[in-house]
Amino acid sequence: MKRQLTLTTQPIDEPALLAQRSLSDGMGAVVCFLGVVRGTQGDASIRALEYEVFQRMAEHQINLLFDEVAQRWPIESVRLVHRIGLVQVNEPSLWVEVVAPHRGEAFAACQWLIDEMKRVVPIWKKPVMDKT
Amino acid sequence: MRVTVCFYSYFKDLTGCAQAMETLPDGSTLDALFQQLMLHFPKLAGMKKSTLMAVGVDYQDRTCVLQEGDEVSLFPPVQGG
Repeated sequence: MKRQLTLTTQPIDEPALLAQRSLSDGMGAVVCFLGVVRGTQGDASIRALEYEVFQRMAEHQINLLFDEVAQRWPIESVRLVHRIGLVQVNEPSLWVEVVAPHRGEAFAACQWLIDEMKRVVPIWKKPVMDKT
Repeated sequence: MRVTVCFYSYFKDLTGCAQAMETLPDGSTLDALFQQLMLHFPKLAGMKKSTLMAVGVDYQDRTCVLQEGDEVSLFPPVQGG
């Protein structure tokens, strides 16, 4: 399984990521997920989230998750991009792409990967409140 | 033995630092380290149940026996995505 992991302070460039997509003739499903910063947290309005990462451990843990994806499903490739630092409301903080022969395994692998990432990967976010 | 302890997220606010050095008896566990840290950083006591701990880049439970020079990380539940 091909894998690509990017933890970056730069905005997620969806057109560039789509242009880099490669899939073989046997692939019939591409599932893409985009996580976007919401403008509210509870009842409060926020203007951004500040993401912090323990980089070495995050890379290690995500690669362990990729290993498990490869064992569980016949996935051809997985790519994951996570923003670090300040991410404004409405901007994407997470982009995940899973390429597989069929939609069932593509959806399942993508859902599982995101759920597990939120459970074990050492990334934290702190709301930046509106000034008003 | 001496170990390096790194704090992440709001644990840095609770302890007032990002990193500390701790000296422990040989054969000490992560639990013993946490007990010692609560003496040095009392605000950590309130986080005892929810604290996640890693040695190097792998999660470990509190029975893990530490080695000289280990890098231990303490942090709250993760929130990626």
